[in-house]
Amino acid sequence: MEILKKIFDFSGSPRYGLFATGIAGLAFLLFPILPHSSFSMSTIIQFFMFSLYAMGWNTIGGFGGQVDLGQAQFLGIGAYTTAVMMIRWNTPFWVSLPVGMSLAVAWSFVIGYPLFRLRGHYFAIASIAASLVLKDIFDAWSFVGASRGLEIPTTRYSSPDFLHLIFTQDIYYYYVIFVFFLLGFFFINWFRRSRLAFQLRAIKSNEEAAGSLGINPRWAKIKTYAIATAFVSTVGSFHACYIKNIETDDTMGLDISIMIALMAMLGGMGSLWGPIIGAGILIPLKIYIKEWLGARAGLVGLDLVIYAAIIMFISALEPRGIWGIVEKVRRRKLA
Amino acid sequence: MDILTGSLVAGLLIGMVFALVALGLTIIFGMMDIVNFAHGEFLMIGMYTALIVAQTTGIDPLAAIPAAAVVGFVLGISCYYGFVKYLLRGPMVAQLLGTFGLMLLLRNLALLFFGSADRTIHSGILVNRAFDIGMGIIIPATKLAAAVLAVLSFAGTWLLMNRTRLGRAMRATALNRQGARYMGIPTERMNALAWGIGGATVTVAGALLVNFWSVTPFVGLLFTMIAFAIVAMGGFGSIPGAFFAGLLVGLITEFPGFWDFTAYITGSSWMAGISMTQFKYTGVYLAYFLIMIVRPRGLFGWKS
Repeated sequence: MEILKKIFDFSGSPRYGLFATGIAGLAFLLFPILPHSSFSMSTIIQFFMFSLYAMGWNTIGGFGGQVDLGQAQFLGIGAYTTAVMMIRWNTPFWVSLPVGMSLAVAWSFVIGYPLFRLRGHYFAIASIAASLVLKDIFDAWSFVGASRGLEIPTTRYSSPDFLHLIFTQDIYYYYVIFVFFLLGFFFINWFRRSRLAFQLRAIKSNEEAAGSLGINPRWAKIKTYAIATAFVSTVGSFHACYIKNIETDDTMGLDISIMIALMAMLGGMGSLWGPIIGAGILIPLKIYIKEWLGARAGLVGLDLVIYAAIIMFISALEPRGIWGIVEKVRRRKLA
Repeated sequence: MDILTGSLVAGLLIGMVFALVALGLTIIFGMMDIVNFAHGEFLMIGMYTALIVAQTTGIDPLAAIPAAAVVGFVLGISCYYGFVKYLLRGPMVAQLLGTFGLMLLLRNLALLFFGSADRTIHSGILVNRAFDIGMGIIIPATKLAAAVLAVLSFAGTWLLMNRTRLGRAMRATALNRQGARYMGIPTERMNALAWGIGGATVTVAGALLVNFWSVTPFVGLLFTMIAFAIVAMGGFGSIPGAFFAGLLVGLITEFPGFWDFTAYITGSSWMAGISMTQFKYTGVYLAYFLIMIVRPRGLFGWKS
């Protein structure tokens, strides 16, 4: 019971904030019933997926200050495990999900152990290298479809198949990922007050001092890396069932890793709301700019030019993100 | 035997160009501890500059090197004053993502202006000429010229950094920014100059590659990763390190040749059965990961 109290403990937030969150939660719950376009539905599903990725990244990158740019490899492990198991052995999603998660976490230990000897830029760049090596291996490995990728045959299942998570209507995917989102959200709400999170904050501000106070920085980072990995690979498995067509470029590319980190940074690192705000802004922005401009002839690339310009503005002018601005305003009000 | 020597020579030649690609990145990192994701896109712009100059005027792409150098210098300086200057105030994650934004911007501007088609040029005077130096080794003239010019540019930059007053001021800024400012060195201008030199060297490398490497807006990322690998191996901020690591990376990209040679010598059929060509760059990433883990300073690094 003690742990339940901690999970639902929002005492740090102001009352109007909780009220707004409740309204937003209700709106998301009722959204599929209200009239909507299928485009906005898929945008919101993407938003949930990327806020979960960013929440996972935020544990290691935001609380711990370790800028990891290789999260996409864990996404890939999750997605490929689910896809391979479903195609070859017809395994239910709920079985392949924990298998994929275990594989991803095991891999995170394998690379995390040497990686966390490094700090700062060195860590960031080495994490990219690890991710690229794995991507090249998947690109050449015929068991996972090599560079052609994999496709889950949907005709084998009659929709709605809750066991294999194969649906023809997006509404089912919406509620599945919404439940995942809520679980992730409450987990992070517990995590941010856990012993590990406080250790991570100490490591972020001064690793030597943290070490001298009896924290084992490397072990704390490896544990947190496993948490981040579990988040990312879970949504990776969902990605496999939702997209159904998996290629290494969509799941394991550097762009995905950077986008995950970018969302957490844009929203505000090391906070509960940061990743959600970041995904809530960047995902609709990216998808809608692409929808408006991407298809026009002669303007190929313009959508990403605008997107890149926004990234550059944010990182040059407000690197602490939107949550940083909110906290600044709130502190001024208190003073 | 000819596989072995052929791979060795090809690896060393391309390695010299790779070293020039990485030179700018290592200078910039040494000066201001910022990792530039847009480095490969500078190279792509150098390639397009040489291509367009060569196509419109009809001269050899190698003669377009000065134009590429000027474009790279101006681009580097304007990126510094327009963008990187503000980025340097922020935390590391903002710097990483900011230069990633710059990379996306340059890549997609190129896509917007030049389209996504592969472009090549075959009008150069050196194209389709080759030297046969015996033992079955044939060196294409374009690659030899690129390697020689790359080494010359590299040596020129090394002289600039080590034998001039300006270079000494830049090295002083890299070693101790505050101390350099107290000695009257305009550190801000030195930073901008590092970006200018970094941009110019990498666009020159791009112009050298145009004769035998097709140009697309997406060519940059591969070179960014190669340059990261070289800089990490040679040591962040080390210029001689970049040269030797460039040669090493050049040899690693040719390792499918060595693999085939070993398979041939030992007569093992399982080795011959595996094609290593697709893992050409995986070897580079792997070596880079291992060196980062074993010796984060790099082989010749002075920044710990």
